[in-house]
Amino acid sequence: MLHIVDDEEVIRDSLTWLARSRAITTSTYDNGAAFLAALDTKKSFDPQGECVLLDVRMPDISGPALFDTLATRGLAQRLPVIFLTGHGDVPMAVDTLKRGAFDFFEKPFNDNKLMDRVQEALLASCDAGASAEIQSRLGNLSIREREVLDLILAGKMNKVIADELGISMRTVEVHRAHIFDKMNVKTAVELARLLK
Amino acid sequence: MIIKRLSQKFNVVFPTRRQAWRWLLPILLVFLFLSTLLWLPWQTQRMEANERQEQLIADTLWVEQTIRFQLGRNEENLRTIASEVTAGYLTDTRLRDRLVTMIRNNRELTRIVRFDADGKMIMSSDDSAISLNEYSTQSRMTAEQARESKTGLYSHPAAMPGTSGPILLDYHVPLLIGDQYLGSLVATYSLSSILNEMVPWWFAQDNEIALTDQDDIVIDKRAAGGPGRSVYTHRRALDLPGAALTLSTNSVKSEPKLLPSLLVASVIALSLGLLWSLWALWRDINRRLAAEGALRHQVSFRTAMENSLMTGLRARDLEGRITYVNPAFCEMVGIPAEELVGRSPPMAYWAPEAMDEYQQRFTQVLAGTVTPQFETIFQRSDGERFPVLIFESPLVDDSGRQTGWMGSILDISDRKQVEDLNRRQQEKLQASARLATMGEIASTLAHELNQPLAAISSYTTGALNMIDNRAALGDEFDLDMLKPALEKAGTQAQRAGQIIRSVHTFVKRREPSREPITVQALIDGVIPLVELQARQFFVATQVQIAPNLPSVLADSVMLEQVLLNLTRNAIEAMQNVAPERRILRIVASLENDAAAQPSVVIAVVDQGHGIPQEVAERLFSPFFSTKAEGMGMGLNICRTTVEFHGGTLVHANNPAGGTIFRFALPVLSETVAETATAEQKADA
Repeated sequence: MLHIVDDEEVIRDSLTWLARSRAITTSTYDNGAAFLAALDTKKSFDPQGECVLLDVRMPDISGPALFDTLATRGLAQRLPVIFLTGHGDVPMAVDTLKRGAFDFFEKPFNDNKLMDRVQEALLASCDAGASAEIQSRLGNLSIREREVLDLILAGKMNKVIADELGISMRTVEVHRAHIFDKMNVKTAVELARLLK
Repeated sequence: MIIKRLSQKFNVVFPTRRQAWRWLLPILLVFLFLSTLLWLPWQTQRMEANERQEQLIADTLWVEQTIRFQLGRNEENLRTIASEVTAGYLTDTRLRDRLVTMIRNNRELTRIVRFDADGKMIMSSDDSAISLNEYSTQSRMTAEQARESKTGLYSHPAAMPGTSGPILLDYHVPLLIGDQYLGSLVATYSLSSILNEMVPWWFAQDNEIALTDQDDIVIDKRAAGGPGRSVYTHRRALDLPGAALTLSTNSVKSEPKLLPSLLVASVIALSLGLLWSLWALWRDINRRLAAEGALRHQVSFRTAMENSLMTGLRARDLEGRITYVNPAFCEMVGIPAEELVGRSPPMAYWAPEAMDEYQQRFTQVLAGTVTPQFETIFQRSDGERFPVLIFESPLVDDSGRQTGWMGSILDISDRKQVEDLNRRQQEKLQASARLATMGEIASTLAHELNQPLAAISSYTTGALNMIDNRAALGDEFDLDMLKPALEKAGTQAQRAGQIIRSVHTFVKRREPSREPITVQALIDGVIPLVELQARQFFVATQVQIAPNLPSVLADSVMLEQVLLNLTRNAIEAMQNVAPERRILRIVASLENDAAAQPSVVIAVVDQGHGIPQEVAERLFSPFFSTKAEGMGMGLNICRTTVEFHGGTLVHANNPAGGTIFRFALPVLSETVAETATAEQKADA
């Protein structure tokens, strides 16, 4: 899903047409507030990945301001932002890229190259979605479980872990079972691949 | 000190040395006149006194003569009688008749007695017996002396001895035949009778008359007119043989008084009056001199002012005749004042080609209505024309009555040149300001051109993508799908072209050329650029043009510049207001005021921050700007441009907040008619 946020009707329309030609579904918003409102009612993310084409100059909320709002909501990874600008102001481009924008395009742009980047962004969004899942699973682990997990990933045996942490073998096994359960894996190998 | 104080009190200017000389003669004359006036009555008085004195002397002499004459005649008579007695002619009876007759004829005589040699009475005029011894001592002594000297003698006057009767004067005539003494004739006069009978009444009325002896003892006197005043007196000896009697006259008249005192009083009054009038005259002259000095100063000041004035002054009476011109005016038109004053129109400085205008104005002058200020052309004596600015105002005299017209004439050929220069510079400035505006919007332009270009690119790329992927799409692919996208691409290409076109006409520098143009076309021409700027600040643009607006005569590029300037200001004024209030309105309507020429009013209305009062005052000043990068020429140029088109540019507060800029353009008169007929046709 490609979110197009631009106050210019013509731009929204032409970009929708372009995205359609590359089989990318779109939704359009004529200002930042509408987009944020849509985000608030959003239940789930598109499994195909999502990204935002954001016009720098807009009447109510400017592109960078909207991007900052997304960043503070922790959506910068899940919703990669590609800026579009009519003014080639390089400092602003550098600034937004530093803050984590996905890319920056100056009008007139090479349309298919833009679409290529959009597709990359969609993929990145998917990856980010996955890693966000892992992160949330990791977040469920207790401190002791994180310590045990680190030692498991280091390839240590239960006995060694028990010794190093000064706990019993039995306790390590219980932690290990909890970790596998919480991380939704069956084996240590699977766990290691997930957290690679 | 006193003079100083007086002079301060009466505001008297003391004359200078030269004036003093001028004053000396009249003052001397006045003093001479006054002294003569005072001397004259005194002199008159003296002359009168002299005259009276002389009169008195003459009268006294006359009286003395009369007395002497009378006494002499009596002496003569007595001597005749005496000689007749001695000759023996006279008997006693005849003697007595003679004596009685004499007494009767001469009332001053008391009696006449004939004595014999022994002093016994022989005959008496009054028949009373009397002897010589009864006579006074002086009389008896005189009788002796007469007898010895053989001549008649008067005795010293004395009263009868033993009586206090009248003082008597005796005349003793000795009767002699040879040396034989026969006796004597004694005639007795009463002194008072002498005075009463011999002095005429008119003399006695005015004078006290006295007879005195040699010791100045008054023997008798007559004072019928009262006592003498001892002012005019005269003494005259009577010179009687044997007796030393003096006649004293003393006038009862006092010194002449009444007339002279009146005279003196009037002289003093006159003198005082004269002095006062002299002083008043002097004061008046002083005032006049002061006024004259002030007037001279004023006149010289005014003359100097008029001469140094660059403005020509011309006064005309109610008939339009020139009554006054100042040197500046003469110099301006090159005609001397004497050839202008008194002249009636047509004037020598009227240019032949503008004669109708002058005549029209002159008719207005005669009608009493004059345009207070107007521009026209005059002609110099060498035929050169020059523009003048004339201010006319009524000429009103002291009593508030209008006596003519006063005109100030300014030679504005220099100013015209400056104005031309200014206008050219303004045009240049306008061009450069246009370029500056261009620079400002260049980046916007780039951005705005990017929009349609980007859209075109997207549409075409999308279409190409579709065509490339038509195999993958299979049946879904339809050429009709591409149509809307390509149409939209075409529209955007046109939009880009319109932007570029309007910018092109905008930058082009050219001479102003006014052509009939409709307001619709004018606004349409500028709208793409306006919207371009409006979009930059997210401002909505609304255009309201009243239907059937007549055409105006205008340079469309210049007016587009004005509209662009105004709309740009309006858009910038709304930068910091809420987006829903960012509405720019361009309203065109017909203003059909009955009094004035109908005009099309174009208003640019924003809802921005408005114009503070202190900014409003300087709004149209050149190089005044509230913008950091502003040149301060925008509104100034706008106003100049609008005024060039015969309109005015005004601004007002928008009731809904913000500002309204409004300018009116006079309607092209033919199009009014056209529109009217068109409407009539439509109605029909």
